[in-house]
This record gives sequence, structure tokens and C-alpha cells, in this order.
Amino acid sequence: MAVQEPRQAAVEARAGVVHETAPAAGEAIQQSSLWQDAWRRYVRNKAAVAAAVVFILIVLYAFLIPGFWIIPGIWTDWIGNVDPYDVNFAVANEGPSAAHPFGTDQFGRDLFARAALGGQVSIEIGFAATIVILVVAIFYGGISGFVGGALDNVMMRFLDALYGLPFLPFAIITLAIVGTVNIVTMVIALSIVSWFTDARVVRGQVMTLKQNDYVRAAHAVGARWYRILGRHLIPNTLGILIISMFLSLPGVVLGEAFISFIGLGINPPDASWGSMANEGREAYRTHPITIVVPSLFIAAIVLCANFVADGLRDALDPRTRET
Amino acid sequence: MATYIIRRVIWTIPVILLVILLIFSLMKQIGGNPFRQTERAVPAQIQANLERKYNLNKPWYAQYGYYVKDVFTYDLGPSMRLRNRTVNQIVQEHFPVSLKLAILAVAWGLLIGLPAGILSALKPNTLFDYGGQLFSNIGFALPNFFVATLLIYYLAVRNDFFPTNGWPTDFWDFNDKRIILPSFALGLFFMAYIARLVRGTMLETMQQDYVRTAKAKGLRWRRVVMRHVLRNSLIPVVTAVGPLIGLVITGTFVIEIIFSIPGIGRYFVTAVGARDFSVVMGITVLAALVVILANLVVDILYGFLDPRTREARS
Repeated sequence: MAVQEPRQAAVEARAGVVHETAPAAGEAIQQSSLWQDAWRRYVRNKAAVAAAVVFILIVLYAFLIPGFWIIPGIWTDWIGNVDPYDVNFAVANEGPSAAHPFGTDQFGRDLFARAALGGQVSIEIGFAATIVILVVAIFYGGISGFVGGALDNVMMRFLDALYGLPFLPFAIITLAIVGTVNIVTMVIALSIVSWFTDARVVRGQVMTLKQNDYVRAAHAVGARWYRILGRHLIPNTLGILIISMFLSLPGVVLGEAFISFIGLGINPPDASWGSMANEGREAYRTHPITIVVPSLFIAAIVLCANFVADGLRDALDPRTRET
Repeated sequence: MATYIIRRVIWTIPVILLVILLIFSLMKQIGGNPFRQTERAVPAQIQANLERKYNLNKPWYAQYGYYVKDVFTYDLGPSMRLRNRTVNQIVQEHFPVSLKLAILAVAWGLLIGLPAGILSALKPNTLFDYGGQLFSNIGFALPNFFVATLLIYYLAVRNDFFPTNGWPTDFWDFNDKRIILPSFALGLFFMAYIARLVRGTMLETMQQDYVRTAKAKGLRWRRVVMRHVLRNSLIPVVTAVGPLIGLVITGTFVIEIIFSIPGIGRYFVTAVGARDFSVVMGITVLAALVVILANLVVDILYGFLDPRTREARS
């Protein structure tokens, strides 16, 4: 393998694979350079870094805050009862205070705790649905692009037809068929109408990769299939997949929020940000914070996902960088 | 061009059939038929007669055939919950309302999004550009129910600039303050989308060789922009509007509920709650037809605007 290295590097150089640092001798350093380059490019993008930090903070808030009420004593002794299910009409519709940082809703439930609970549900649905979308898209687009020919034609025409399906009605019907609404059925309903574009992206990617000069060149200089797969195909697809994950996340999160907001989604006493906004709408004239809190969380996670996707695209796929 | 249009129109037919089949088979999964759900015991003979009358005793493909025929002859059947109403009546009453709302929203998007995007691209990295980008990022991320609630709260409740809800009964009545807030709330997303898209494509076009050539041969900048940059940058916008129609339909559901607008989306949600499945199915098929027809129109327009497309496809 060591003898092959200079040739490999020459081929890559000719095929346009640019290493920002001169590749040092030895395979281990070269292996990581793609991701190191990506990391360096990502860190340079301030907006993307800020978005990633806020994104992580929101996720941590949603998943760690509940820990405080699960472990009895810590939170309760500190500022009071913050169980998100705990109804207490004595403190209903309160504004923000030390005991309730976001105030309380019309049932006296703590909004700081409920927003964390709703965030868990929204984020879980968001990530689960994007993963389902990706898996379906990889299978469908991968087969279509890899086999090609008549099968590709049929599969792509079928996909064209699916674009005629209206997103929200179809998702709602899917929920009506299953009968119950929970995280799993919500994920199914949202992914069933959202995988079309990703499937096209995967197909396009597979078709280009099959034909790509550097893949053929690597093959010609005698690289084994696992080397082509590990060094060229997977790194070149992985980036696009991670990007499209963050690109589809906003649509899924907003889709869930819409369905829950119109009252056909997550049911009380459980909460998602969308269903919290729905409950808040009833009291927004006197107590607007009940709709402001979940809506701003939705906006923040969508905004951050968009910026992270932009940053990742610039970092992982510099050719498509916007001017 | 004619063959391209004919080809494209003919291709729409199997698409419609397939989409109806998908919706039809989904609705079949809900199970049972309307006459089994009644609490009253129906004599077996009457039950059989009812099923025969509505072709429910036939195999599924025959039922699908009847349904397709009904869709094409515009007969979406009776409502299962409201005895004296047909789905046709419901659609005729509520669909124009949603259509008007959607058209107004797209109009907002083009009216503000297009100029904003063009100006941003002409003066990139200026204060105006950054403001526009900030605005479009926010418009992209804020859920429209929140925008709608804010608008109602600040412009209708706290200050009495606009009414909080309602909708004019006459389709052609555009001189009514009630149409402004809902269409703006729905249109905000399109403004953001179109502004961002136009800015991106224009910046890309301005780097093309033919723009440099036009500048180099001494053409005035205004003329370069009008003749070369704009014409070539606006083509992708046309393509983007097609899929957006589907998103408008999604948006109308939410907006109609917030503003108490008697549109088809709000009726759909009510019908799902009441399990009135003939209405649910009729509205879904209708929405699908709107999306498919919008895509058809966009494709044909695209063929006119960009000759390369029709050559590639025919």
C-alpha cells in the first residue's frame, strides 16, 4: 500500500481533490484530513458555529432539564415543584418569576419544564423522521441510481407522481388510519410525505459517483474496492447525507408543529412545541407568553438547523459554495 | 413546443390516476364502510341494498374505477355526516375562499420578495442586503401560526387597525381589510423564500461570462441587468413557485383556523375530527389535483422560458 501512495496522491491531485495542507507521509494523517479540512472550514463560519452552539444548548435543555425533576429533591427543594404534568390552579397564568422562569400556563403548569418536555418530543420526532427519510431515500435513490436503465426510469416517474401528494392532508390521513397519535405514528406520517426530494438527491449522487473520474482513476491505479468505497464513495456521500439531514429537519419540525397546532397531533397532557402553541392560543390575548415560548423554540431550532446545514455544505462540499 | 406541451399534458393523466389510487387505498385502510358504523341495527336486506347502491359490494378495483369516474365527472359523493350536503357543495362553498387566500399570499411573496431579492443582489454585503437576509432568515424560521398570532395581537387587539377574523363572502371583493392580515401571515414564508432564491440566482448569473462580455462591450449597467441578468435569474423562480403551491395549501390550513376563515382547510380539519371520510377524501384529491396542475403549468411555462428544457425532454 505504501508504494501506491504517491500515485494515489497524484491521481487525486489531478482529479481535483485539494488538500489544504500538504499530505504528510503515512496513511493515518491523510485519512483524517478530509474531516479536518471540513472542521477548519466550518469553524471559520461564525454564523454556523453560533447556530451549532445554540442548537446543542436547546437539545441539552430539552433532555437535561427533566433530569432535575426525575431525581427527587434537587430541583424541588431549590425552587419548587416543576413537574411538567403537575396542575396547580393557584399559580395559573403567572408571568416569568424565579420559581417559573417562563411563567405558567392556564393550568398552572410550569412552562420552563413543559417547554423542555415539548422540546424532547419535537426534537425526537424531528431526528427520527429525518433518519427514516434518509434510510428510505438511500434505498430508493440508491437502487434507482445504481441499477439505472428502465428501472431507474420507472422509479423516477413514480417519484414524479408522488410529488402530486399534498403534504399536510396526506400526513393527517395517515394519522387517521393508524388511529392513535404518538411519537412513532407522527414520525411515520411525516416521513411518508417527505422523502421524495432526498431520494432524488441520493440518486443523483450515486449516478455521479459511479461515473466520477477519480473513482475510475483510483480503480485504474489498482485500488481495491474497499479502498474506493472507504476512501472515495463513503466520504463523498456522507457529507451530502449529513447536510440533507439538517436540510429536512426544519420541514419535519414545522410539519409536526402545524399538525399539533391544529389539534390533530400530540395530545395533552403530553406536549410538543406545536401542541403547546395550540394550548397557548386560547389565552394569548391575556397571557401571550404561553404561545411565545414554544413558537420561539421552534423558530430557534429551525433557524439553527438552516445555518448548520449551510455551514456544513460549505465545509463538506466546497464546490457548491455560494458567492 | 406543441409536442412538448402535449407530451406533458398526457403524462399528467397517469400521475392523477396514481395519486387518486394512493389516496383511495389509504382511505380503504381506515376500514369498514359508513353503513356499518351506525349504532342502529340495520336489517341485512337493507344493508345489502345500501352497499349495492354505493357499489360497496364490488371488488376494490371496481370501486376505484367508479371513484375515478366520479372525480373526472366532478361528483365527489355525499357527505357521510351531513345528510343534506354533498362534497361538491362543500367544495364549491369553501374552496374559492382558500384559493383566494393562497393567491393573495403568493402575490405578497412576489410583490415584496422579488424586489427585495433583486436589490439585495445588486448591492451585496450592504446594510440593506444584511437586513434583507436577516428578514428572510426570520421569515423562514418563524412558524406562521406565531406570525399570525403576533399580527392579530398587535394590529387587531392592542391597536384597532384590522379586524381580528372573518373573510368577505364575495370572491371578487378585494376591498376588504379582513383579507390583509391572513394573506400577509401566509405570504411571509414566500417573501423570504423568493427573496433568498432571487438573490442567490442573481449573484450567480452576474458572474457568468456573458454578463462580463456585456459589461466589457460598454453596455450600461442598467441595461445589462434588465436584459441579461434579470431574464436569466428569474427562470428558477418560476420553477420554485410550482412546489410552493403545495406549501400554500399546507399553510392555509393553519391560517384559516387562526383567523376563522371558512376555507377548505378548516373544513378538512373539522371533517377529520368528525370522521367524515368522503369529505376528507374529496378534499385531499382536490388538493392533489391543484398541486399536479400547478406543476403542469410551471413545466409548460418553463418550456417557454428555457428552450433547453423542452429539447431535453422531447
